Amino acid sequence: MLMASDFCRLANFPRPQPTTNHRGAWRGSCSPRPFPSDGRPSEPWAFRCLRIARPSAVSRGRSVSCRAAEITTDPGQDRLMKAARMRYILENEPYCLNLIDTPGHVDFSYEVSRSLAACEGALLVVDASQGVEAQTLANVYLALENNLEIIPVRVLNKIDLPGAEPDRVSQEIEEIIGLDCSDAIHCSAKEGIGISDILNAIITRIPPPKDAAGNPLRALIFDSYYDPYRGVIVYFRVVDGTIKKGDKIYFMASGKDYIADEIGVLSPNQLPVDELYAGEVGYLSASIRSVADARVGDTITHFGRRAESSLPGYEEARPMVFCGLFPVDADQFPELRDALEKLQLNDAALKFEPETSSAMGFGFRCGFLGLLHLEIVQERLEREYNLTLITTAPSVVYRVNCINGDTIDCSNPTLLPEPGKRRQIEEPFVKIEMLTPKEYIGSLMELGQERRGEFKEMNFITENRASIIYELPLAEMVGDFFDQLKSRSKGYASMEYTFVGYRESELVKLDIHINGEPVEPLATIVHKDKAYAVGRALTQKLKELIPRQMFKVPIQACIGAKVIASESLSAIRKDVLSKCYGGDITRKKKLLKKQAEGKKRLKAIGKVEVPQEAFMAVLRLEKEVI
Amino acid sequence: MLRSTLFPPMLFFHFPVLRNARILLPVHSFPNPPPRPPTVCKFSSSADIPPPTSAYVHLPFCRKRCHYCDFPIIALGSSSSPSPSHENDPRIANYIHLLLREIEATKPASHNQPPLETVFFGGGTPSLVPPTLVASVLDALRSKFGMWAAPEISIEMDPGTFDRGRLEELLELGVNRVSLGVQAFQEELLRACGRAHGLKEVGEAIEIVTGCNGLENWSMDLISSLPHQTPEMWEDSLSQAVDARPTHVSVYDLQVEQGTKFGQLYTPGEFPLPTETQSANFYKMASETLTTAGYSHYEISSYCKSGYECKHNLTYWQNRSFYGFGLGSASYINGVRFSRPRRLKEYIDWVQKLQDGMVDHDATRVGSKDMAMDVVMLSLRTARGLDLSSFGRSFGDCLALSLCKAFRPFVESGHVVAIDGDRKSLSFHDFEQQLNDDYEMGNKVAFMRLSDPDGFLLSNELISIAFGVISP
Repeated sequence: MLMASDFCRLANFPRPQPTTNHRGAWRGSCSPRPFPSDGRPSEPWAFRCLRIARPSAVSRGRSVSCRAAEITTDPGQDRLMKAARMRYILENEPYCLNLIDTPGHVDFSYEVSRSLAACEGALLVVDASQGVEAQTLANVYLALENNLEIIPVRVLNKIDLPGAEPDRVSQEIEEIIGLDCSDAIHCSAKEGIGISDILNAIITRIPPPKDAAGNPLRALIFDSYYDPYRGVIVYFRVVDGTIKKGDKIYFMASGKDYIADEIGVLSPNQLPVDELYAGEVGYLSASIRSVADARVGDTITHFGRRAESSLPGYEEARPMVFCGLFPVDADQFPELRDALEKLQLNDAALKFEPETSSAMGFGFRCGFLGLLHLEIVQERLEREYNLTLITTAPSVVYRVNCINGDTIDCSNPTLLPEPGKRRQIEEPFVKIEMLTPKEYIGSLMELGQERRGEFKEMNFITENRASIIYELPLAEMVGDFFDQLKSRSKGYASMEYTFVGYRESELVKLDIHINGEPVEPLATIVHKDKAYAVGRALTQKLKELIPRQMFKVPIQACIGAKVIASESLSAIRKDVLSKCYGGDITRKKKLLKKQAEGKKRLKAIGKVEVPQEAFMAVLRLEKEVI
Repeated sequence: MLRSTLFPPMLFFHFPVLRNARILLPVHSFPNPPPRPPTVCKFSSSADIPPPTSAYVHLPFCRKRCHYCDFPIIALGSSSSPSPSHENDPRIANYIHLLLREIEATKPASHNQPPLETVFFGGGTPSLVPPTLVASVLDALRSKFGMWAAPEISIEMDPGTFDRGRLEELLELGVNRVSLGVQAFQEELLRACGRAHGLKEVGEAIEIVTGCNGLENWSMDLISSLPHQTPEMWEDSLSQAVDARPTHVSVYDLQVEQGTKFGQLYTPGEFPLPTETQSANFYKMASETLTTAGYSHYEISSYCKSGYECKHNLTYWQNRSFYGFGLGSASYINGVRFSRPRRLKEYIDWVQKLQDGMVDHDATRVGSKDMAMDVVMLSLRTARGLDLSSFGRSFGDCLALSLCKAFRPFVESGHVVAIDGDRKSLSFHDFEQQLNDDYEMGNKVAFMRLSDPDGFLLSNELISIAFGVISP
């Protein structure tokens, strides 16, 4: 019933934004199922499904910040596009297709893996003008690991673009991933090319879900979000059994039970139904207070008739990257707390605890899944909650083995145990894979080397593209590594990383002393070999930023009691307005008032007044040099 | 309402009594001024502020604009010959006429306006104005406000703009204090700052001023930190100044103002201007040389032989009210600070409106906080310093104590000096003891002043710290 002309109308949609910072490919995960006989939806509905499928294709492969921006401008929109169900008729047989969009970024690889686990097959969408990227590979492997089924459909998108090279990209996919590309479908979401081929392929090539409606209920949560009016809305795939409206359900990992007030399908708008069967994708709302109660990966079962075992793959969220968030205006502290609490309702991976810093005042130390996650949270706090924040340099969790046998996890340099009490410090390492055109291999290896990386291997995946694998400390990654990668490769390289565990490192705590007083917020944990360079950079920057005082001020970087870098700020010699002419004091007074105003932004470190900007600039610098 | 609660009612009676006493003083007691109440400002509402007894008169004419100058002036056009060429310049006569109109249209600040004690002719180059016209201004002031029997009447004079005859004419009018704008004793420096006179005229002017029997009180202006100025030059200028034996010396540290020629040419601290360290040294040299020569450093940029303080300027430092007349001049009457238009055309319009009774002094009345800032800013410029007990009475002992606490590190570092009621400096140890004993504070620490020269040199820093205490 779906006519070619319908697809032509798709052409009116906005063109997907060409992206320079392409990160990874989108996979739609599909679970085709013969349409239930009582299938309500009709054609216009099916048409809407496709509309929905399209923008998700658009959202695929945005740069990190773009994607973050997208989320922040309309967080709801991204959610709505998470999943959709469509009706499609092939050879007079109606089918129900459930499409799930997955987040593309590695920070959310856990969420990706759960989405994939909820599917029978996956569409591998590759940009015909960009080719295979590190993210593509990572997610293909993830799909192969997680998903029982192979990936039967490959789509080459954006073939309408002038720069599209579908043949080269096909070859690349074959060489790198090892998938047969002879039957790859060429398509353009913008022009509507190849859409019916894709839908036909989904039905013919992806197996339908097994009929397990008789088993005890097991449904896999692949997404959840907090709705201020209805509580948490859970998106799930019914794996076994059936779920009815009004059922008392039980979340096997969180151990919470609720009454399912409403269940429904995503058509793509939420459409309540009475019952969902094994193989179907839907949503439920049960007045759940926090997403932490219904985490992605958790298994829903009936409270009364519990399943014997939960679905595999559930993991607790584990923050990997930490940073301090402080409001620039101290009065905004309560607002920041409220905002974080609200965000946490929706984001079980976000962790935070109050932190006080002598320079920045009251704030929070927050834990994130990764850098993108950090960036998204920061953006949302600033945009949606109108907060102005200072972010300290992201840090990682160090594992400190103490002499008395204790092991302490420490993400805050100020909480690091005294040198005498600790035996060794371990830091998290990641394995990073960079895919790059061959001309940038040199500069990327240099980057890896600079970041204390250990070279693992390099493969030419095609004649012109290489994959370089390094293992390096996560701490080296959390700064501007990605920016460096992009700038050193003129934007062509892509990367992917996985956590490989904790390793012992020769780490030291670098203290900054201003006028003999240690300045805690400026303390950092750095590798011994880098301490000198970092110390020099920090002291020099501080010398530029701290206004001269009425006395000479030494600025030192120290490891323990040992000074490793030192600068000194000379005293102001003269600051006098000598003439107060004809009694006209107003101008002079204005100047003095301005000067007094400037002093208010200073934080006293002992006797020295340090402007907030100095802290911020140093934190920025830390991101660069550490 | 709030303000009146800040002040004990007894204060309101304090002043009239003193003022009456002063008026009753016999005339022959001059030139020693009547005792002045010690405080700078006890008043925060206009009713409490005594009416002005000082008047500033701006005579804006110059032969040319000096390169550092950003005052409201009117350049008459350069001429190498001295003043007579400008003698009949209609611009001067017209301006004086305008000035007379302003004086005439100005209402005395109070019904019982006390006579003026000081008049200051500033400029510009007031010595370019013919003495007959100066006389007309003095007459107008006298008839409008009355004049003390022996007022201090100062006039600024530039070398090369007057001769002995002209000076004597001025003295006959009652002028008894001359401020001579020497600025430097080096031909090249005078030229570099665009002065309309050379070294020869400086010598002549000093000769005229010192040779004039009727004039005992005169001041010499010098500028330090001029471009290309060396320590040797400055030393030489200072010693020549001392040799000329003026009763008063004003030393101004060059301020490079935006919109001046210097502002376009130079950046402070960069060649050819002296470095900050050098110019701080110039300041110290001046302080040392002049103090050694018997001058008292009674204000940041003023030195005088004992008893020769510029009474008019003391009005400013003590935050007392004063009239202002003429282009761009500032006045402070009934708690309102007002600056007249700096452009002649606007000033003419303004005078017209004043005559028509249409002037709305749009300057806002100084509020209590601002009043406290004024007091601190002005009194800390002086060697006398901030009178803590009177400050405490006016603005609260709490604030006075907070100021002391804020200055604690600087008392320790020697930038600020705590002084007791007998004008003896307290050691840091004594000061700190007083500070810790809240109730005793006022008893011993009577004044806070900036030290000379270190505190004076950093006065902006220190005053702005005090501002931060007053307006947190």
